Amino acid sequence: MKKKLRVYLPFMENEFKRNLAYKGSFYLFMLCWLFTPFINYYLWMAIYGSSDGSMLGGLTKDEMVVYVFMSYVTTQMVFVSISDYIADHVTEGSVVMNLIKPINYRMSLISQALGTMLYRFFAPTIFVWVGVEIYKAKVLGMGITPLPNILCYIVSVIMSFLIFVLFDFCFGMVAFVTTYMYGMQLIKEALIGFLSGELIPISFFPVVMQRVFDFMPFSSMVYAPVMIYLGKYTGSALMFAMARQLVWVVFLYVLGSVLWNRVTRRLVVLGG
Amino acid sequence: MKELRRYMRLYRVFIAQFFKKLVQSKADFLIGLIGFFLTQASGIAFLFLVFQQIPVLKGWTLDQLIFIYGFAQIPRGIDHLLTDNIWLVAYRLVVNGQFDRYMLRPMNVFLQIIFESLQPDALGELTVGTILVIMSLSKGIVIVDGVHILFFIISIIAGAVIYTAVKLLFASLAFWMKRSGPVLQTAYELANFAKYPTEIYAKGIRFIITYIIPFAFVVYLPASYFLKSTVSPMSTIGVECVIAVVFLGIAYGVFTWGIRCYESAGN
Repeated sequence: MKKKLRVYLPFMENEFKRNLAYKGSFYLFMLCWLFTPFINYYLWMAIYGSSDGSMLGGLTKDEMVVYVFMSYVTTQMVFVSISDYIADHVTEGSVVMNLIKPINYRMSLISQALGTMLYRFFAPTIFVWVGVEIYKAKVLGMGITPLPNILCYIVSVIMSFLIFVLFDFCFGMVAFVTTYMYGMQLIKEALIGFLSGELIPISFFPVVMQRVFDFMPFSSMVYAPVMIYLGKYTGSALMFAMARQLVWVVFLYVLGSVLWNRVTRRLVVLGG
Repeated sequence: MKELRRYMRLYRVFIAQFFKKLVQSKADFLIGLIGFFLTQASGIAFLFLVFQQIPVLKGWTLDQLIFIYGFAQIPRGIDHLLTDNIWLVAYRLVVNGQFDRYMLRPMNVFLQIIFESLQPDALGELTVGTILVIMSLSKGIVIVDGVHILFFIISIIAGAVIYTAVKLLFASLAFWMKRSGPVLQTAYELANFAKYPTEIYAKGIRFIITYIIPFAFVVYLPASYFLKSTVSPMSTIGVECVIAVVFLGIAYGVFTWGIRCYESAGN
């Protein structure tokens, strides 16, 4: 275990430092990504303003404000793409280097992603999060989120992160088939944005579709942790949501191993 | 006139090259198309889900918002199709010195950049936009007569020009910053605010997207002219055209100024 940490920790550190090096562009991208929650915030305000009832999709107006910004916080930490790296490694052929080194390729990628995740947590996310809490307590009068919720949320986000990264690793295998990852990424982002609860809470979908989504890993990426944060799941429902996340982690881990073994068996790299 | 004919011929040559590239990678073309199509389709699905819950949004019906959404895609798609290379100026060409090759050819630099490629991914946006506009036409919520059709075409062209101008302006900053991609991205993404009626936003945001980076004049204001008979064309599409011309002028000015400041990378 200790040896493993020594091997993979530098990957994380390097990625953390690399992010620090491009601070300027990083902050601009952050600003850019903040557009979306603010557009959504105003849009939802208008939507609630036009509605007769106080509840939409099981959420009150105030809860929706928290939902919009906490789903931003969550996606910032969870959606760390590693398939771009895989695509680069495959097109450059440097993927062979990762095959002959005595390290697990997937573990090294996940460690890198963890570095980015930690960086994002410290750079802007924590401030948005604190901002949400202050707004929630002072303006909305909902009080601070209770500690058990926060702790469950953190555990849930870590699992979300693993689900996303493991999923993205499987998705990255596409790079062995096509060279146009940009287009594939667009497809992935559109689907995940829609099905994970990032764009709209899953509770807005018709019940039939919600049942279908239960069999996909996406709603465990954003919707589950945010609902846990909001305290919408209690008791057995909470256990069930988190157990489901765990199942996805295990499933995607196994799937990733299988895919990787199949793909690398037929890999041909010229030169290198 | 002779100059114009020369450029027309050059454009044909460039585009012919481009199509050769395209048929080599048909799968890529399809993937990009689906990607942009899905991105836009999820935006529409969002509106559908929301309108399950409410009848109208600040006085706008679902059909009207879908028209605005679709109408927004068309100028964006045209600009995306024709001038996508500008992104490369912002991200790559200046910082690694590849911009040299444009400087050496006996042809207008801006036109070379534009001519060099088409972005077929944009067809995804154009398809969604066209489908949504046609759907709206069949529902009879859009005013259709000779004048409106004429203004529709003018508005789409002016809108595309505004997109191009915004891209050119922020990409030109690369001549001083070396890499202006993130700045350009930020400015470009502001356009997303204009997908919905501007009255839902706070005053500050409304001011920015109306007067500073005028995407409201690309989408929402012209669209309202086609939906509401009380809106005058001059205060929407007229202004849009003026903005398009002025913005393109400014952007092109900064661009030519930037070229003079350009110093190549390398050894």
